[in-house]
Amino acid sequence: MSRYKIALICLFLLIMQGMAMSMLPASLVYSDLLMTPHWVLIFLMIIAVFYDKDETYNAVWYGLAFGLLVDVIYTGVLGVYMITYTLVIYVIHGLNKLVHANFLAASLLAIVGVTLADTMLYVIYSFVQITSMTWGDYGLLRLLPTLAANMIFFILLYPLVKERVHDWSEQVSNV
Amino acid sequence: MPSLFRRKRLVIVLIGFIVLVALIGFSIRDRDSLSTPEKFLQDAVGWMQTVFHKPVSLVDGTIENIHDMFDVYEQNKVLKARLSEYKGVIQENQRLTKENNELRDTLDKTEGLSDYSPTQATVIARSSDRWFEQMTINKGEEHGIEKDMAVMTSEGLIGKIKSVGAFHSTVQLLSGFDRSNKISAWVVREDENEDEVFGLIEGYDDETGQLLLEGIKLDEELKEGDTVISSGLGGVFPSNLRIGTVEDVVNDQFGLTKTAYIEPFADLFDINHVMVVDRSVETIDTENEPEEDGS
Repeated sequence: MSRYKIALICLFLLIMQGMAMSMLPASLVYSDLLMTPHWVLIFLMIIAVFYDKDETYNAVWYGLAFGLLVDVIYTGVLGVYMITYTLVIYVIHGLNKLVHANFLAASLLAIVGVTLADTMLYVIYSFVQITSMTWGDYGLLRLLPTLAANMIFFILLYPLVKERVHDWSEQVSNV
Repeated sequence: MPSLFRRKRLVIVLIGFIVLVALIGFSIRDRDSLSTPEKFLQDAVGWMQTVFHKPVSLVDGTIENIHDMFDVYEQNKVLKARLSEYKGVIQENQRLTKENNELRDTLDKTEGLSDYSPTQATVIARSSDRWFEQMTINKGEEHGIEKDMAVMTSEGLIGKIKSVGAFHSTVQLLSGFDRSNKISAWVVREDENEDEVFGLIEGYDDETGQLLLEGIKLDEELKEGDTVISSGLGGVFPSNLRIGTVEDVVNDQFGLTKTAYIEPFADLFDINHVMVVDRSVETIDTENEPEEDGS
């Protein structure tokens, strides 16, 4: 059951990502700072930390599927978000073995994850000339605002889902 | 055993890389239409977006309405003053339309480049990545939408259709235009005695938020505030769509032509309802005309 719930939540966040861009006040979303919501990634990182055991890789598969969905729906260039999300969640899953699963460690992993993901997107999109920003501009105008916006979302989301995800994990391992 | 794992991981990374390059290569080239799975996903998610969009836009609209109520009185005063001017303009317009139709009848020429049929659509989502200036609207192939049609709001042109699904389509906004999306345009000058000036809109300047109108002849003098409209000569867009006003004119890098900076009429960020414009005159096949707009 919990697997379907996770998929549904991911889908909901994916839709809300696009909704936020058209509904939030334009002065906030369309300033010079290029804020990019990575809400699906944030949620999947929580799944990777609190749901997956050391030997299960559910979050990675979700990353593959929903990354592809972001590509199809929001960008039209296939494969970029798919590979980025998959790889980043895999790395987070690996790093998770080194730290205790608490709020501080999780937020640290979220910062690492979002930074890594957004930088990878920048590198790939620069290669295919979708963006022509310089590294300096990118760091200042896109990476930092994106990181800040997504960490706010992480702090809001964490108390809502943490216990639930943990319970689901227990249920799965008990069965 | 560890070496086996490492080799497995290496193989996965390599396969992943190949898949990435193949997929990007497949999707970034100029495609005429989306593949069936893409269309299916776009429509499936589109329906869900529509479901969520209704309540959210209701709340959003209510807040906006309350906000608007405060300056209704002021607006009303201004509008009443303008109303009397419009009566004269409408009469003149009717007279000119009639005259135009009569003249066309005598010439046996019934279709003009400026004729079009609009389709109303609602914006249900925007790309979450700001590097992709595109949005999704709730009309698709089933409603007669085709690739490369012009999209506008009541204020002016905002973009063109990038790809179509069965019931939803993606709009490429003017702010995401580059050299592969040219629009041929006329600059209409305030001084009525002077001719219109031809130019091509070839891109968007991120820093100023203005469009670049290139290829203007050196001896043409443009003034700030001149209006830019589409010419309809590019083969896809109808003519007379309002685009923007001239803000600044500079010589291009070789000094052979001039480049004008155009401030778009339409707000490219706060968009809720749009019109997709299908021109009545037959559209030129863009396959054979890669240099025309929208190719």
